Amino acid sequence: MTEHVNTELPAYHEPSSSFAKEIELEPGGSGIMHCIQCGMCTASCMVANMTDRYRPRKLIQKILLGKREEVLTSELPWLCMTCRLCEERCQEDVDPTDIFTAVREIAAREGYIPAVFQNAIDKVLEDGWMLNDSYTDFEEDDRSDLGLDADLGWNTEFVKKIKKRYFKGGIEV
Amino acid sequence: MKEFVLYTGCTTPVRLPAYERAVHVVLEKLGIKLTTMKDANCCGAQYIESVSHTAFSAMCGRILALAESMDLDILAICGACSGSLKHVKHDLDSNEELRNEVNDILEEEGLKYTGTVQVKHLLQVFREDIGYDAIKSAVVNPYKDLRLAAHYGCHVTRPEEIVQVDDAENPTIIDRIIEAVGGTPVDYTGKTRCCGGPLLAMDDEVGNAIGRDKIENIRAENADGIVTACVFCDIQLTQVQFGEGASDKPKIPCMTLPQLLGPAIGIDSESLGIQLNKISPQAILEAH
Repeated sequence: MTEHVNTELPAYHEPSSSFAKEIELEPGGSGIMHCIQCGMCTASCMVANMTDRYRPRKLIQKILLGKREEVLTSELPWLCMTCRLCEERCQEDVDPTDIFTAVREIAAREGYIPAVFQNAIDKVLEDGWMLNDSYTDFEEDDRSDLGLDADLGWNTEFVKKIKKRYFKGGIEV
Repeated sequence: MKEFVLYTGCTTPVRLPAYERAVHVVLEKLGIKLTTMKDANCCGAQYIESVSHTAFSAMCGRILALAESMDLDILAICGACSGSLKHVKHDLDSNEELRNEVNDILEEEGLKYTGTVQVKHLLQVFREDIGYDAIKSAVVNPYKDLRLAAHYGCHVTRPEEIVQVDDAENPTIIDRIIEAVGGTPVDYTGKTRCCGGPLLAMDDEVGNAIGRDKIENIRAENADGIVTACVFCDIQLTQVQFGEGASDKPKIPCMTLPQLLGPAIGIDSESLGIQLNKISPQAILEAH
């Protein structure tokens, strides 16, 4: 009996776009091609542990498969807590946090940005710091009682330069 | 005497001023001089960081350059701030193009980043600049029969090669200080896991579930308290014990590390702002 040997080359599974290459060129995105899809990231992830919506391995798989529009318009890259537990455990030196940050940066450039992020960005670029609206007489009194300076002395001018140079109306151009 | 410039970040001065106060009094007692940075800006963590690496680098770069102009290393007491400043320092030191871009925007106010200052998180100052032996020698009022769970904070310890604070998989600085003041450090499931705080903006239900899971893991080891080293972690591990969905079991007090250390080295609790803690750590204070 002769064994049938298939001499044809296997059909390669081609990504539907060059999205992974695009991510590779962003700051922090360089490790994506090293991903072997082992799933250590999902196994380590507390967000994945608590909700079925989020699976970091699958999200990286979507990027590798070239699903650009689907990934950029999704909330998933914004659900990473950036806790870097997966990164610490990844055997292939892939940094999912940095990869999803690269995805966020591209998504933001194309106008996909969750409202809560947009609002916080607008606040920082307006006030120079995060909690200007929360800093009331009560907090000032607490600080004075503790012997701390109630005048926090935040710089408000520098963020105007940042906004002018890197953002237009809060969204990066 | 070693001197640092304290970068408080946005959150500590408003939401947890007692932490800021405790850092000042405890470090002073242990021989560290602090000057608070003024005219600073937000480091840009999480929000600016997510949408523009260059803008984020400029915001952290300015803080680093301010410290350079004072010729002082930076002390950061918030995980997000210390992580951001260290990341950007790493990027600026290794990427000339980015450094030139940042210096171009800093030049207008006469600032320049050259990379001469270090960024240290509070835990590093305790280990590297004060040391466990000096902490032990300073203890005048040790705790007794006290089981304490350390929570390190993700951005404080990871990624290890950039932040260089502690072993990221098995951090021990807080545990060793708990020991130094007479307490018993307890291990628990998921010790290096996140508090859930960074997810609150996108999904508070899941973020709180992550925080509560941590609380229950700590409760399972019969800990009397939780010791933190990041403002966000402290607030998150406190607030998840209140409100809808919180356990009806007794609350476990959270204390920042300097608040735990202070009473043991002879600082009265009022000077440490402990009266402002949302869950009273009275039982801890009485465990002598």
